[in-house]
Amino acid sequence: MKLGRGPVLETLRRLWPLVALVAIVAAIAIVASFAPAVPQRRTTQALINLVAVVGLYVFVGNSGILSFGNVAFMAIGAYVSALLTMKSAAKSVFLPDLPQIIASAEWPALPGALAGGAVAAAVALVVGWPLMRLSGVSASIATFAVLVVGNVVFGNWTSVTGGQNSLMGLPAYVDLWTALGWAIAALVIAFAYQETRSALLLRASREDEAAAQASGVNVVLHRLRAFVVSAFLSGIAGVLLGHFLGIVRVENFYLDLTFLIVAMLLIGGRGSLTGAVAGTIVIALLTEGLREAEIGFQVGTTNIAAPAGTGDVILALLMLIIILFRPDGIAGGRELTWPFGRR
Amino acid sequence: MERLVQIVVDAVSVGSLYALTALGIGLIFGVMRLINFAHGELITLAAYTLLALSGMPVPVMIFGAVAVAVLLALLTERAAFRPLRNADPTTLLISSFAVSFFLQKLLILVVGSRLKGLDFLPALGRQTELFGVRLQLLQIVTIVVGIVLLVALTWFLKATRLGLHMRAAAEDFRMARVLGVRANNVIAVAFALSGLLAAAVSCLIVVQTGVVQPRMGLQLVIIAFVGTVIGGLGSLPGAALGGFLVGAGSILLQALLPPDLRAFREAFVFVAVVAILLFRPQGLIPARGLRERI
Amino acid sequence: MSAIAPLLVVSGLVVRYGAVTAVRGLNLEVADGETVGVVGPNGAGKTSLLSAIAGIVPPLAGLVTFAGAPLSGIALEDVVGRGIALVPEGRHIFAALTVRENLLLGATVRRDAEAVRYDIERAFSMFPILAERRHQPAGQLSGGEQQQLAIARALLSRPRLLMLDEPSLGLAPKIVDQIYALLHTIKSDGVTVLLVEQNAERACAVSDRVYVMSGGEFALSGNARDIARDPRFDAAYFGVRMREQAGAS
Repeated sequence: MKLGRGPVLETLRRLWPLVALVAIVAAIAIVASFAPAVPQRRTTQALINLVAVVGLYVFVGNSGILSFGNVAFMAIGAYVSALLTMKSAAKSVFLPDLPQIIASAEWPALPGALAGGAVAAAVALVVGWPLMRLSGVSASIATFAVLVVGNVVFGNWTSVTGGQNSLMGLPAYVDLWTALGWAIAALVIAFAYQETRSALLLRASREDEAAAQASGVNVVLHRLRAFVVSAFLSGIAGVLLGHFLGIVRVENFYLDLTFLIVAMLLIGGRGSLTGAVAGTIVIALLTEGLREAEIGFQVGTTNIAAPAGTGDVILALLMLIIILFRPDGIAGGRELTWPFGRR
Repeated sequence: MERLVQIVVDAVSVGSLYALTALGIGLIFGVMRLINFAHGELITLAAYTLLALSGMPVPVMIFGAVAVAVLLALLTERAAFRPLRNADPTTLLISSFAVSFFLQKLLILVVGSRLKGLDFLPALGRQTELFGVRLQLLQIVTIVVGIVLLVALTWFLKATRLGLHMRAAAEDFRMARVLGVRANNVIAVAFALSGLLAAAVSCLIVVQTGVVQPRMGLQLVIIAFVGTVIGGLGSLPGAALGGFLVGAGSILLQALLPPDLRAFREAFVFVAVVAILLFRPQGLIPARGLRERI
Repeated sequence: MSAIAPLLVVSGLVVRYGAVTAVRGLNLEVADGETVGVVGPNGAGKTSLLSAIAGIVPPLAGLVTFAGAPLSGIALEDVVGRGIALVPEGRHIFAALTVRENLLLGATVRRDAEAVRYDIERAFSMFPILAERRHQPAGQLSGGEQQQLAIARALLSRPRLLMLDEPSLGLAPKIVDQIYALLHTIKSDGVTVLLVEQNAERACAVSDRVYVMSGGEFALSGNARDIARDPRFDAAYFGVRMREQAGAS
């Protein structure tokens, strides 16, 4: 039976990167579901990281501008969802000064998560409107400011966030399958977005901003759209992280996490969704290996182990090597292509 | 009245510190279009050098800090940034971010992440009286050091041959090369000078806080970056002004804000920054030659 | 005709930017003391030609020889030291630096400070308007004044070969008159000049020999006076192929 060049085949070819990536991610989750508890948790963590990296990719990959601020959106998502879904009793312990509406709210998981993403997106809309007018590098530094401001606000708004104290008692509903579900959703959203006309125009403006503007492309508007979608996904990632660990700590949403996510995206390749996935997987594997190395192994009576902190150094070194020798990352800016060729 | 003068002096002193930091960043951006996150690590490592040399005579300590900062700056230029000379600004930004984190994590690996105390030039922490106002000696020293370095840098750029080459390279790098200006020399000098500035800032910070920790440089430069952006990327007067405003602004806000909002002063500073950028996205003192010709 | 080798010899030069071939195997010669013009429309590849000779873009193939020594492959900063000065398209003066500082930069590779000072004064007497504005930022000069500054700056390296890319571009005719009068003076000083121009009339008036460039190739070349009167000139300039013309009729 010959496959003709029908519209079905064309659609499949276009959707192939998404289908392939979803399949890969699902396969990893399925394999992990047969593993003991600890590897399962690690895989869940990796899937949450995937959502975060995909969120970052949506903005960085399409606009060409590096954003350091996405972790602030993750924090927003985490805190909002926490506030809405935590049991009132827990909230009154940690956050006695909450306004009554929030203090008594006990939303189910999904609305809480969506609210977290939505608030992050709303903040991105407000903050992004002035920021997207800036040129590439200035905009990147400005997103750094977003990260710092977020950190300052969350760290000091004690009545709402608990300030420097950890916020504990979040319903820990994120298991392997929840994480997988959201990971797939993130891939679908990111893919759907990058196929839109707005994203296409944005990518065109990446090459030559002056030419794009001269052609009437409203670069600021398209950048803003990417920023908002990116913030939504980052917010979701934050929600997942919070409800996976069961606690939200402001210092967990700052420079180290930013570096990790940027490193994942960079190493995988910031120009494509495939790159985002590749980077997450590679770093997850690397982290596993390094974790084992830091635990060490027995040789006779001595334990040979890498000193704590080696993993971070190696990750930073890897990022440097990629930047110097293969700046487009593992995926090289390309998506997975339909393997069966054209007839 | 005395209180007012104290606040102003404090603001000028902190502003000077940030101005010096921003200048170090601005120098590199001027010649290479690179935002050097690793500048923070220069400051941090200079401080750890002070720690390592503690007990030695003060001039030796300071010399050590300067030497380490300058050498490290030159090393990062040679190893990480020279290969990327013609890369796009985002790639350069990412690479400096990676270098910064690499150095920071390496430092943590070697010395651990806990902060360490260092009693450096404790005499500067004394109170002194100037025109009847009680001030900290360190504040005056900071302001004086700031002015001296600013003047020295300006003299260097305006009056020396090398300074002329640097100004030309900052405005139009390729044309400068066409005229025979050596790209490598100019960039190396810029990095060396930034190392010098970082060491100066490091010494002042260590005296002020008495503490050395792996994140100290990064915390400073994040705020200084924002200063260079509002001052005008690529413009040295702009960097100094922007850094100064951000530093001084945060002190003034601290004094003016009601107590329960004081912790948010950084947030206010950044909001002010965003407001400035809204009306003047190219910065307060824009640099020439930055806009691309169509 | 002297038996001395030409000052500048370009052979088989190919310049490519990605998929676009801007210069297709060119051969060019400039004898010592000559003024050679390369004329052609926008996009003909003239700037790429000069950029390749000056070392700004590396050629894909071909050889450039200057004063008997190969020029290809040397660093961009070293070209001016060999005796070639470029006045680029768009002038590229340093707007934030003063007029005097711009001139000083022209002498970057020179070590004889006394002679440089003399040359700067000479530049001021040759270009009085620059003397007037010597301490002003160069960005405040008009287009014509900036062009004078760019030329004066290039001359400060005491070049053997002066290359100019579109000196008349964007300037009013009266100003262009001044610039070209300048070129006549420079020529009579014995400086070898390689001039790239869209304005063929002007170029032919000042040059000894002219090449007509179109689509990356030389369509026509010869003595300036003859070229100006050559009936094939328009076709060569605009790139209409001779053979196709003959075939169509």
